[in-house]
Amino acid sequence: MIALLPLLPAVLGVATWASDALPSRRRPPPSALGVAATVGMLLTAAIAALVVTRDSTAVAALGAGLQVELALDPTARVMALLVPLVAAPVVGYAAVHEEGAGLPRLLGMLQLFVAAMLLLVAAADLLLLLVGWELVAAASWGLIGWEWRDASRPARAAHAFHATRAGTLGLFVAAGALFADTGSLAFSSVPDAGAGTLGVVAAGVVLAAVSKSGQVPFAPWLTSAMAGPTPASALLHSATMVAAGAFALARLEPLLAPIGWFGPVLIGIGLTTALAGGIVAAVRADAKEVLAASTSAQYGLMLVAIGAGHPAIAMLHLVVHAVFKSQLFLSTGIAIEAVGSRSLGRMRLGGHLPLAAWVAGIGAAALAAVPPLGAGWTKEEVVAAGAASGTVVAVLVAVAGGLSAYYATRLQLLAWGGDGSGPRQLVRRPRRSEHAATIALAAAGLLAGLLWVPSLGERAITALGGEPPTGHAWQVVLSLTLLALGGYGAWVVQQRGRIATVASTDVGHVADRWFGLRDLARVAVADPLHRSSAALARFDDRIVDRGVQLAAAAAEGASRVLRRTAEVRVDAVVEAVARATTGLATIGAGLAERGVDAVVGGVAVLVERAGDDARRVQTGLVHHQFTVIAIGLAVAVAAALVGR
Amino acid sequence: MLTTLVAVPLLGAIVLAVTPGWSDRLVKRAAVAVAAVPVVLVAVVVAGFELDGPSFQFVVDVDWIPTLGVGWRVGVDGISLALVAVTAVLFLAVIAYPEDTRGMSRQYHGWLLFLEAVSLGLFVTLDLVVFYVFFDLSLVGMYFLVSRWGHQDAERAALKFFLYTLLGSLSLLLGILALGLAMDPITFDMRAIIEAQPLAGAAAAGLVLLAVLVGLGIKTPVVPFHTWLPAAHVEAPATGSAILAGVLLKMGTYGLIRIPLEMMSETFQRYAVWVAVVAVVSILYGALVAFGQDDLKRRIAYTSVNHMGYSVLGIAAAGGLLAGDEAARALALTGATVEMVAHGLITGSLFLLTGSVWRRTQEYDLDAYGGLSSTVPAMTTAMVLASFASLGLPGLIGFVAEFQVFVGTFAVYPVLAAIGLLGILVTAALFLQLLQRMFFGERTTRFEDLTDLDGTERTVLVGLLGLVVVLGVAPRPMLDLVHQATTLVTGG
Repeated sequence: MIALLPLLPAVLGVATWASDALPSRRRPPPSALGVAATVGMLLTAAIAALVVTRDSTAVAALGAGLQVELALDPTARVMALLVPLVAAPVVGYAAVHEEGAGLPRLLGMLQLFVAAMLLLVAAADLLLLLVGWELVAAASWGLIGWEWRDASRPARAAHAFHATRAGTLGLFVAAGALFADTGSLAFSSVPDAGAGTLGVVAAGVVLAAVSKSGQVPFAPWLTSAMAGPTPASALLHSATMVAAGAFALARLEPLLAPIGWFGPVLIGIGLTTALAGGIVAAVRADAKEVLAASTSAQYGLMLVAIGAGHPAIAMLHLVVHAVFKSQLFLSTGIAIEAVGSRSLGRMRLGGHLPLAAWVAGIGAAALAAVPPLGAGWTKEEVVAAGAASGTVVAVLVAVAGGLSAYYATRLQLLAWGGDGSGPRQLVRRPRRSEHAATIALAAAGLLAGLLWVPSLGERAITALGGEPPTGHAWQVVLSLTLLALGGYGAWVVQQRGRIATVASTDVGHVADRWFGLRDLARVAVADPLHRSSAALARFDDRIVDRGVQLAAAAAEGASRVLRRTAEVRVDAVVEAVARATTGLATIGAGLAERGVDAVVGGVAVLVERAGDDARRVQTGLVHHQFTVIAIGLAVAVAAALVGR
Repeated sequence: MLTTLVAVPLLGAIVLAVTPGWSDRLVKRAAVAVAAVPVVLVAVVVAGFELDGPSFQFVVDVDWIPTLGVGWRVGVDGISLALVAVTAVLFLAVIAYPEDTRGMSRQYHGWLLFLEAVSLGLFVTLDLVVFYVFFDLSLVGMYFLVSRWGHQDAERAALKFFLYTLLGSLSLLLGILALGLAMDPITFDMRAIIEAQPLAGAAAAGLVLLAVLVGLGIKTPVVPFHTWLPAAHVEAPATGSAILAGVLLKMGTYGLIRIPLEMMSETFQRYAVWVAVVAVVSILYGALVAFGQDDLKRRIAYTSVNHMGYSVLGIAAAGGLLAGDEAARALALTGATVEMVAHGLITGSLFLLTGSVWRRTQEYDLDAYGGLSSTVPAMTTAMVLASFASLGLPGLIGFVAEFQVFVGTFAVYPVLAAIGLLGILVTAALFLQLLQRMFFGERTTRFEDLTDLDGTERTVLVGLLGLVVVLGVAPRPMLDLVHQATTLVTGG
């Protein structure tokens, strides 16, 4: 049963992709593909529900003493339901949003993406986790580079793949350490590991998760990933790929928390990313890149919650984030198609598309964590969770919340403001199903507001195996004040007409480039790699190979001397063979003549040396050895004959 | 059974050699038919192999030169059987694949069948002298393939390959003689030598090990003995490259398992850490130098240095301890063996694809291509799949091998394993960049009317890459087979 969870979307994905190969008149229309994909995702969600209720698990031996295990814990159950449910409207939207050739490939890859993510979610050991981890990255590579005719997109897809694969190495190390210590790769064997092993496993998982979830210093890959089509971005930033990092940490937190540095490191990385990502999102002029930076920032908050010992709260924030972020991407995609550009400076579409603007506004409010939306509640819980690790943490989380209010308001005003300064005519009006997808997700986002009902919120946390943190009134007051300040700030800056141009100032420019992280990755990793590989390639040609050539020349000289002093008997054998082969070689015309000569010469020389050396080993047996070698040579000669 | 396995392609080669006047088509069909026989025979052997049986099975033992203890002894364990299987499959694929035979179809196919017999013989023999003879004969066959059907500078490259690797096999011969002569009575029976460990504690054991390691290291090849490899690959015909990388290189790593690891385990254990260091250097150096190549074929050639490095690392880890960590060491050795199978299938496919590219474009410079995806979608798909397999994507056989090598090695050499891991980052970079330069971006006007893969090419590649996928998704049968042998070797 549980195996169906990744299998069904995988089969559907392959089938959808394969429909591309059908002759054009038998190819299903985009609408049919879209409906099929949406239904497929809903079916997958139904299977997920069945798996959750029946608590289905599976174990399979791979051979070589390895085995893999599929099982859902409470954290994974939430993810198993979330992934297909978010994917359903996204694939439907994709079928109408992205037109023309390549749609079957796009829809197929989106479904494979979901399949890989579900495998990762259902994994109960480090091997399957690693498998899902890499397959998700490969699917992202295909999706980001979907429009491969523009050479920059495959390059950005590669950036995403490399950045997250660097983290995958951590999972390899974790798997190696765990296996060396316990002889098993199952999550359930982690508690059996010694303290040293546990530290290595934790370090590996943290490295992998930090890179996957777009945290500092890997954050810029998320910006590169924006080269992909909008539906792919919507999925990649909500329930798949990026979500994998925070999910894995939440899933394994109970096992890794005994490590002293685990919590503080996550809080440090999370807070840094939440603040830095917030500033980047506040200055970007590209609508999708604003959302990309905000994803990093929001996942930073989840890491803080996990580090503070509240993975359940991180998971709840992940869920509401998945819903509103996928919706924001789909809404933004409508705006981008309407003006034919990703630049926020050209939008202000409120006058043209009031419905889309209102729907987008719900997503933006959630991004800003405005009560009574669900995202507002989960953010307050993160503040409360952080407070347990220190007042500073709570204050900084609240500041990050203020930043998100700023960039969410700024995004909404620029993209959907209705002050009439937008374009005179729209390049393309949104389709009905595009609206439907965004409205469905927005409705789900509104529904998440039920978390504010005290008994429901607490029950959600305990259902995930957590305990509600004890918050204080001052935290709520502080974070709501900062939230209001952030939103008001964006409004004021907009009134002064400077909101879209922040990135042109010096400070803005630095933030726009991820505070130098993008350049750092280039200067510290990519460039040295290119330079060293080019230099090594030259070194290999000029030095290593030259050494061989010199040695060869020396050996040739030495062999000549040897040959002159060798015994007559050896000479006779060798020369007979050499004459025979040389004779054969001269019979036919062709390229090989000189080669055969040289080969025979070489063989002759070397046979002598072999003879010499062998004699030193065991003088009495030398003629036996010659017999053997002569047989070998005879076969070689016969072979030469065959080849003529 | 195993003797027939070797004899059929050899007879095929002889028949092709002595029967002039056949049309090219008939020659090709006959060759494919002959090459199909070993595949069937291997399937029978695999089916009849008992997982709870003795280490070597299907054994035949006939005396040849009794005074020297040399004999026609054949038999397979899980390790050699896996290699025999990949050899048979790869030769069938290569022989079926189209190649410009320059009007010498008979000779071309004759040499390929001869090479097949030699390669199969090397993996099934249980006699060190016969092993050595086949080791050398493989050079002869490959020499002719490269020099006659290669590119412009083929002869020099072929000669360099021949002399360099012959030097290696000479060094190996010294080691083999020392091992055989140290036995009392003298014998070159592998099973007897493994049993007796004749050089354990001997004063010169270190020197013998060095001679064997140098000989096998050249063949594998490991850095710094690898420079014959790119030269030979660039000039070789694509099919020759596929065999060279897919089968001949494995003779080095297979020998490494049989001779140092199994016959000299005590001496090998003392120096295994240095072998592991050389392996890690090969992994990183091979990947970095490959990334620095702008020539399609040279780039793929250098990835062989990288991949064989994984295999050597696994072997070194397996021999790094005499006792303890048996599960991890067996895992590493299984990984090393699967890496040989994986590399054979994957790099074989990659080189066959370069042949298809060359026949259509007469070009190997990566900068000359671009945007080919729109004109040759099938070729793009095959190349993408083979590249991802080579960079170790899960679900494909390369990952199975690399995961086992790294996880297994971690128990013995954790630091070296971690450093070696960086190699998979570089291979990812070099293959994604290769795909990008060849197939994506703007289409070059120069290659606007390329034809896509034809029926034969598709069939062969579907077969090879199909195995890459099937063995990657469901590795159990293969792992059971190999692991039985590696568990015995590592004393688990």
